[in-house]
Amino acid sequence: MFASKRLSKELQKLQGTLPPGISLISAENFEEWLMDIKVMDDNPLYRNEVYRLRFRFGSSYPIEAPEVTFVQDPSHPIPMHPHVYSNGIICLDLLDTSGWSPVQNVESVCVSLQSMLTGNSKNERPPGNDAFVRTNRQRPRDINFVFHDNKV
Amino acid sequence: MKVTILEWHAVAAWRWDAPADDVCGICSQPYDSTCPKCKYPGDDCSIVEGECTHTFHMHCIATWMQHDPKSQCPMCRQDFKFKGENVAQEPQGEEGRDVGEGAAV
Repeated sequence: MFASKRLSKELQKLQGTLPPGISLISAENFEEWLMDIKVMDDNPLYRNEVYRLRFRFGSSYPIEAPEVTFVQDPSHPIPMHPHVYSNGIICLDLLDTSGWSPVQNVESVCVSLQSMLTGNSKNERPPGNDAFVRTNRQRPRDINFVFHDNKV
Repeated sequence: MKVTILEWHAVAAWRWDAPADDVCGICSQPYDSTCPKCKYPGDDCSIVEGECTHTFHMHCIATWMQHDPKSQCPMCRQDFKFKGENVAQEPQGEEGRDVGEGAAV
């Protein structure tokens, strides 16, 4: 109830005007939405690419953070970033219990991720990416992320 | 000419003392409407202002404070303290019971 009322408000707004580079792809229900983001400047790491985000909402959203990951398909790669694992899992305090606030919303999360990419110049995956991607079976919400980088 | 008024009906509307077009930052519903859990706006689903001046539906901020171990304001991340004692003591009725815990944190 909490989630659906708030999400229907958000959906109304997302179907109107959105910030440049952010678009709503699908929102068939109040459990899972797809959004596309595009980096608007000339950052060579992300030029001419569109990245797809999957938002998963629990019934107590926005008290609990949505689960947000990049998804890969033939036309949408996983962006190269020191906080984005190659399986699409994002390490960002905003999306974790410690940094989430219920005044955040789908649009503001997209804007934050867009600016996280814009500001990055490292063509790198997080340390331990290969092992993490190979072994991780946990959902992002169950992972204990350690946030150490205040520059993002 | 003299007019004698035999009967009159007074019609009044109320609204919270908050900007008319503003919505609760947590549920996105207007302050004059209810939080997502309530049916009827008014004293049973009041709004509260924090010392940081940020306003929410009482039930919304109470739900958040029960969830957030640090009980910070969702807007500014300062400790959320209810502004003024009368607001914090207000709901003692049936409806107020479930938020009492949150308010006392």
